[in-house]
Amino acid sequence: MLALKSWDINLRSREKKTLRSFLLLYAFLALLILAFVAFMYYGLERDLMLQNQREALSNLTNEQIARLKSLHVNFEKEKIYPRDERFNSAIYDSSLKQIFSTLSTKKVNLYEDIYLKNDHIYFIKELESYYLGARYIILEVDAPPSWNTKVYRKLLLYGAIIFGTLVIIGYFLLNLLLRPMKDTIALLDRFIKDTTHELNTPVNTILSNIEMIELERLDESLLKKIKRIAIASKTISNLYDDLTYLVLSHQIFSQDVQVELSELIQERLEYFSLLFESKKIEISTSLVEGIYLNIDRKKMAKLLDNILSNAIKYNKIGGSIAIHLSEHCIEIKDSGRGIEKSKIHQVFERYMRFDRSVGGFGIGLSIVANIAKEYALHVKIDSVLEEGTTVRISW
Amino acid sequence: MVKKALLFTLFSTACLCAQTGIYEKNCIPCHEDMAVKIDKFFYRYLLKYSSEMEVKNAMTKYLKNPKTENSILVDGLINRFGVKKKTTLNDAQLQEALDTYWDQYKIFDKLK
Repeated sequence: MLALKSWDINLRSREKKTLRSFLLLYAFLALLILAFVAFMYYGLERDLMLQNQREALSNLTNEQIARLKSLHVNFEKEKIYPRDERFNSAIYDSSLKQIFSTLSTKKVNLYEDIYLKNDHIYFIKELESYYLGARYIILEVDAPPSWNTKVYRKLLLYGAIIFGTLVIIGYFLLNLLLRPMKDTIALLDRFIKDTTHELNTPVNTILSNIEMIELERLDESLLKKIKRIAIASKTISNLYDDLTYLVLSHQIFSQDVQVELSELIQERLEYFSLLFESKKIEISTSLVEGIYLNIDRKKMAKLLDNILSNAIKYNKIGGSIAIHLSEHCIEIKDSGRGIEKSKIHQVFERYMRFDRSVGGFGIGLSIVANIAKEYALHVKIDSVLEEGTTVRISW
Repeated sequence: MVKKALLFTLFSTACLCAQTGIYEKNCIPCHEDMAVKIDKFFYRYLLKYSSEMEVKNAMTKYLKNPKTENSILVDGLINRFGVKKKTTLNDAQLQEALDTYWDQYKIFDKLK
């Protein structure tokens, strides 16, 4: 039991979770690095584009300086700032005070020699002779149309290819790292499957042979002993079913059919009849017939078995269990020792047990939760200490 | 009659005073007679010093201690007209004269 408990049966889903977390972190880091590289690449492409514009802009600036020179000489005669349809311009004095501007912006960076801002290229030149007192001249032209569209397209394409490659490499890398752990899990998996399989055959043999015994012909003492053997065998059989479900749940394909619930409940009550009898538990039922659920019969039986098994296990001698089936819910109410209110939200956690005076692994309600989740059933547990617990499954 | 005479005297005095600012009184008279007009000096300073502060500093430096080396004029004009005499104005008066000079010829707000 200890060995079983320390072995994490759910390692496969945990493995997937680890894989997902690792890939997410890996993808995030890869994206971060890619974003940095893309930023650098964009900067290089922008600088290259600006360099290509530099010569043309320098020539335009020289033309504008020549006009400023002419205006400087004839300033008393004409005071009209020279304009050109190919560009906007501005002049600043040595204290960076604007003398005149036709630029679309008021904020300019005179410490750069060429830069790009809001789809405009700004070219700054320092004059040798300060015509009109202008030490700096700035030219503003439109950036070449769609130059950045090409860059973005390239970045997206190469970024996606590199990112995809990195994710694939990450996936294989993680698989490589997880291989030793996977091998160990596979070994344990095989071991538990073989063990449970070997357990099934003798238990079934015992149960089928007990069923074949003609109980009427036995004397009372022997009948008592046979019943005890039957109860013990059914307990082992239940445990076998739970373990099989846990180990193979990821491999079991649901075979959903229309299940008549009152019939199934009656069948499960019959199955547990010896256990009820042994604890002198009084059963009362109120089952509406003709209620169907589209569900895997074995899984629904497992769900009911686990709830009934708990209702028996934690019930007192001579207690009671009431089962009520209506159109939209099944309610199983026992007169057991109950669960503390503060712990009710933990009951579906695997290996969670509040009462160790009776046997079990603490996996029953975890299986109930799994099946309920698969079929979108709502499980609600109400419990009062020393009074009993009510499990309500609704749909 | 006396009243009218008094008003006329006051008005005449005011007009006379307006034309006798430090710049008008101490700079214009000499430059008026020169072949190179006073505005040309301004644009030469502007061409070399750019900003208001630097222009005014250069002018102050020259006017307080005029030399061939710190003159804005080209050699030909220096040889022809020579270097002016040292200013007799005190710092405050000189500053006021330069402010007037700057305001009269500055480029700011004049370009269209």
